[in-house]
Amino acid sequence: MSQAAQRSRYVLKRLLQAVPVVVAIVVVNFFLLQLAEGDAVDVLAGEAGSATPEYMAQLREKFGLDKPLLVQLGVYMKNMLTFDLGYSFRHDMPVAQLVLDRLMPTLLLMVSTITLAVGFGIVLGLIAASNLNKWRDNIISVFALVSYATPLFWVGLMMIVVFSLKLRWFPTSGMENVAMFYEGWDRVKDIAHHLVMPTLTLSLFYLALYTRLMRASMLEQASMDYVTTARAKGLTERRIVFVHILRNALLPVVTMAGVQVGSLIGGSVIVESVFAWPGLGMLAFEALFSRDLNLLLGIFLLSALLVVAINLVVDLLYSFLDPRIEVG
Amino acid sequence: MAFWRRFCRNRSAVIGLVILCLVILIAISASWLYPEDPFKLVGRAMSPPGENGFLFGSDTLGRDVAAGMAHGARVSLLIGLLATSVAVTLGVVLGALAGYFGGWIDDVLMRLTEMFQTIPSFIFAILIVAIMKPSINSVVLAIAVVSWPAVARLVRGEFMSMRNREFVQACHIIGMSDWRIMIREILPNCLSPIIVTGSLMVATAILIESGLAFLGLGDPNIISWGFQIGAGRTVLRSAWWVCTFPGIAIMLTVLAINLVGEGLNDALNPRLRERT
Amino acid sequence: MVRCTLKSLTSESLVKKLCTAALAVVAVAVSSQAISQSAGGTMVMIAQPEPPSLAPYLSTSGPIGLVAPKIYNGLLDYDLDLNPVPELAQSWEVSDDGLTVTFKLQEGVTWHDGEPFTSADVQFTIMEVLKQFHPRGPNSFREVSSIDTPDDTTAIFNLDNPAPYMMRALSAYESPIVPKHLLEGKDIREAELSGKPVGTGPFKFVEWKKGQYIRLDKNEDYWKEGLPLLDRIVARIIPDASTRTAAMESGEVHYGAFGAIPNIDVVRLRDLDDIGVTTDGYAMINPMALIEFDTTRAPFDNKALRQAISMSVDRQFLIDNIWFGYGKPATSAMTSNYEPLGLYKATENYPAAPDVEAANALLDEAGLEADADGVRATATIDLIPYGEDWRRLGEYMKQAMADIGVKLELRYEDVPTWLKRVYADYDFELNVNYFYQLPDPVIGVQRHYGTDQIRQGTPFVNSARYSNPQVDELLASGAMEVDAARRGEIYAELQDILAEDLPVVNLFEMEFLTVFNQKLKDHTVSAMGAYGSFDRAWIDD
Repeated sequence: MSQAAQRSRYVLKRLLQAVPVVVAIVVVNFFLLQLAEGDAVDVLAGEAGSATPEYMAQLREKFGLDKPLLVQLGVYMKNMLTFDLGYSFRHDMPVAQLVLDRLMPTLLLMVSTITLAVGFGIVLGLIAASNLNKWRDNIISVFALVSYATPLFWVGLMMIVVFSLKLRWFPTSGMENVAMFYEGWDRVKDIAHHLVMPTLTLSLFYLALYTRLMRASMLEQASMDYVTTARAKGLTERRIVFVHILRNALLPVVTMAGVQVGSLIGGSVIVESVFAWPGLGMLAFEALFSRDLNLLLGIFLLSALLVVAINLVVDLLYSFLDPRIEVG
Repeated sequence: MAFWRRFCRNRSAVIGLVILCLVILIAISASWLYPEDPFKLVGRAMSPPGENGFLFGSDTLGRDVAAGMAHGARVSLLIGLLATSVAVTLGVVLGALAGYFGGWIDDVLMRLTEMFQTIPSFIFAILIVAIMKPSINSVVLAIAVVSWPAVARLVRGEFMSMRNREFVQACHIIGMSDWRIMIREILPNCLSPIIVTGSLMVATAILIESGLAFLGLGDPNIISWGFQIGAGRTVLRSAWWVCTFPGIAIMLTVLAINLVGEGLNDALNPRLRERT
Repeated sequence: MVRCTLKSLTSESLVKKLCTAALAVVAVAVSSQAISQSAGGTMVMIAQPEPPSLAPYLSTSGPIGLVAPKIYNGLLDYDLDLNPVPELAQSWEVSDDGLTVTFKLQEGVTWHDGEPFTSADVQFTIMEVLKQFHPRGPNSFREVSSIDTPDDTTAIFNLDNPAPYMMRALSAYESPIVPKHLLEGKDIREAELSGKPVGTGPFKFVEWKKGQYIRLDKNEDYWKEGLPLLDRIVARIIPDASTRTAAMESGEVHYGAFGAIPNIDVVRLRDLDDIGVTTDGYAMINPMALIEFDTTRAPFDNKALRQAISMSVDRQFLIDNIWFGYGKPATSAMTSNYEPLGLYKATENYPAAPDVEAANALLDEAGLEADADGVRATATIDLIPYGEDWRRLGEYMKQAMADIGVKLELRYEDVPTWLKRVYADYDFELNVNYFYQLPDPVIGVQRHYGTDQIRQGTPFVNSARYSNPQVDELLASGAMEVDAARRGEIYAELQDILAEDLPVVNLFEMEFLTVFNQKLKDHTVSAMGAYGSFDRAWIDD
């Protein structure tokens, strides 16, 4: 069988395997949310200040909340087959539209965060590994751990105080300047400007992970036989580290990054909250507290699909990076 | 004793252990150091550290931040330990079953694990706390539920690699039951990665608890570091001490646990100096 | 230019009143002379939390109130002394018997889509929309039996009984006039208008980026000559309170009302040169912090216990330590802001300083003996899930009530759970909450105490399930009484009864704060405050 055919069979198999997982996520969360007290109508009525029981009954009918649970679930699953995620009770608009609106900001934040964390993690891990147990190694380890152990919101708020209020380098929050409404390139620059602080804050948290992973991975590779062979061949230490060890040491880091991008799709509620970044995390958080069932299920569904897709891509990428690993 | 010597070779791990012991000591002696209810309004509100007899200052209602930290240490450590125990127990049982038996059991359990890994974990933790209402129990359960899949995967991997080893085959031949093999023979051989993962999980649990508290999802009747941070963050700009000292406590503890975890790793796996 | 901020003067009410007066003078002076005003610029305000919709005719949700009155007009507006002033109605006349109210409407007004505005819109709005679908509309307009429209600019309200309170419910926030041509024949609740509002107001709706901002641009064809002054208003959504403060400090936002900036930060910000703070603009709201009791069950069916709690709460401590000086201890079932209407009376059981001894004596006398641990009663107190302040209040209550032998356990749940527990399941013992008493007791206070307001499943009504025929009678006659003095007597009697029975213990009159950048001028020019139209607001660059 050709490699390409083998690959596509593998992809197909993986996708089929993912179907029950995704369906289970929807079903489990559907029932979990039923356990929560109150429903979307209670929240809407509470927000409105006051409402008559008749109005609330009417709303429940409109949202289909008056139907038996299994019927509600059936309706949802049926709609899901046609990629219809339903209607958000609170926002009064299609879930798909709401979620897609938030997807770009989320991806922007997540991809830049992972890139930064992985990039610096690799560099720091490399430095630490090549200075094993010397002061550089120690400083890097402590720095990585401290940035991991400091509560995110505290870092975020301090960033705002220092870089927005004192130095005036960056805006405090939001995704773009709403007094100006830039267009074209100016808008891209504006968004990039707003992206800096949330990205820094969030990547500090993940930096520790990649630094330690990279360091460990470098050390593990350094003890492999092929390194001894390379040395015996008389290659320079520099060449051994950068050409041979580094390439192999990157593999676990790449895998981890893939897994993280997936799990980060859900957004970071805390960073989004502190920087008023319009991501999926805050949307999900608000959806939960307004019992906006359709919206929350839609977010879970979308993030599940993305995790499945990204994991698949990472595995394929892995097999390209290291031909010894076979798919299937 | 060889283990202890290997552990002591890692200097930062020893420092970590000292800090951790200190935190545990404070937690144990909290009632003796500060016999009053830490919620009690004991003096002038918003006193800076060192003033009016408050070591770490007082909060907006005039409660002693230091007293809260001492009592909070108990709760935060307890939450970390409990959540980790639940997660590790669940992860070990499911991972062991999947790894040992393989086949459809493995398939079903791994799909289950994947499902939990696919749901955005922090949101899921919030969901669980919201459904069960904020209390120590719901926070512990939420942290455990989002943490176990990692343990399950790890244990599964270990069991899979062990089940075909010769000593296990030998056990089969002498007619040992599956349960006995799993618990008495395989499990002890993969304890060290479980211990290392578990120790780091305690640290993560403490961080998750503070994150939940930041969002107002802590138990309102019990003081923990997360509670103090959640309550103090709104006054961070005016009374920095209210949430900064508990924040430092969290940072130090998480740091210490991580260092100890690394030391354990080195000591338990003398051949592999590092492992994540 | 007279500048009026309330820096460090907030507790002295006299100064505040002077300040209010000064502001009013400034407003008049500025609008008549128009010397230093300049047109143009964008104002950025905070909308928190994100509004559920932009349909003020369906919901009185606070954040809707911040945005919608810029788009819709009301028949009337109210000056800082609560006197009605013309808006869409250029004049009005109440007949001697109080049974007909004739509104003469502005001429040449058009909707944002270009359609002309007529008396038919008013008739449709009141009868078909507000009276049917608005949360408070059925109450405000309950006496309106029909509206006649003899011509395009006249609307005559026919009333079954006199309804003096109705004249205070005609602002753009409380009763926005909506376009008949976009709602007629449609399901009012489903109509597209709720997400894409079309009004007659100074600003047109442009875009709503969920989770980020709502953008309104200047209505070039506004019916008020030369207004509005601003080119654009953007309402930004910033979830975290500390970040809102930072955005205000950095000048990214100009205006935050209704506690968008936490009080603790206000204390710090009010000393900055470029930031101002005011408590004006909330006279129509009158928020009251309070405790509701389930009066049907032990232990709080015993009114001695409720009285003891009211007597032993240190109201000033709450104001000073949790709300950082903004607020006024409650002294009655009704807010002291009703005083200009002659409807307020200070009552007993609301001592100026807490009296724990008297409270304990009262409980002893009532036969509520303390056990060996000094506990007379145990209960769970629910806290309104609207932020940290309320948790602090709960923590205070737990400590303070221990002194009178009431052992409290705190419960803090999320909004839907809490609403269902208190208002649908009645599964609570005592509940910390706050209510808007609004400009008139008929609209704001009645819903708390009337027997007909025991409406299971409806939020923010009589959850104490308090029922007293005498109170019902007083509420009914107070609503219809036209004579101000007589009305005052009725409500005085009511307040005495409520102070004795205490189905609800009021804690303190909350003072909401508006924080603004000094560059922004003329934002608080009416009693509506943040719920105003902002057509005269301008930016001084």
